[in-house]
Amino acid sequence: MVGLVIVSHSAKLAEGVAEIAAQMAGRELKLVAAGGLQNGGVGTDAVRISNAIAQADSGDGVVILADLGSAILSAQTALEFLEEPARERVRIADAPIVEGAVSAAIQATIGSPLGEVADAAEQARTLRKL
Amino acid sequence: MRQVMLTLTNPAGLHARPAAELVKAAARFKSRIVLEGNGKKADAKSIILVLGLGLRQNDSITIRADGEDEEAAVQMLAELVKQRFHE
Repeated sequence: MVGLVIVSHSAKLAEGVAEIAAQMAGRELKLVAAGGLQNGGVGTDAVRISNAIAQADSGDGVVILADLGSAILSAQTALEFLEEPARERVRIADAPIVEGAVSAAIQATIGSPLGEVADAAEQARTLRKL
Repeated sequence: MRQVMLTLTNPAGLHARPAAELVKAAARFKSRIVLEGNGKKADAKSIILVLGLGLRQNDSITIRADGEDEEAAVQMLAELVKQRFHE
């Protein structure tokens, strides 16, 4: 099953997004929050993200959902810390973090492969709220 | 091919949690399952497409399954709708 990593500048936001997604996903889904800095401050930490990816990967790959700006840069840096072939199995989704995480979590829960889970996250951009 | 048409009676309609329940249930079957409502069609195994239907309370929904377990699929999904997704 594809795993998910939630990257946010805020540890609380990453945990909150993971909480919502976990509520709708299956219990077996690996969903890891990687928010904030080691010292508890606001920011993103590539090492923390890299560890989260390793934790979320059961061999089927990982989709990363990130909030703004440097969260993406840190996620890209985190990929550089990984060895092949683990790095090949990671996708950073260009998606809104909440809708993307929920969509990806459900799609992963039903056993869809990496590409479909990443697509589910990215297609969340097109969902109208009203 | 088997199909059934129902009315969504749960207050939230086919929103996040009910949609998730439906997609997870649909994924247990091998048949191709299509939901139809609001003038749109969606693969029942894709959460984004199901949410994209935007179905609300009192909208009608058609569940159509095609494949070796179509009978059981339609029966189970219809039951989920009738049970208001256990809300």
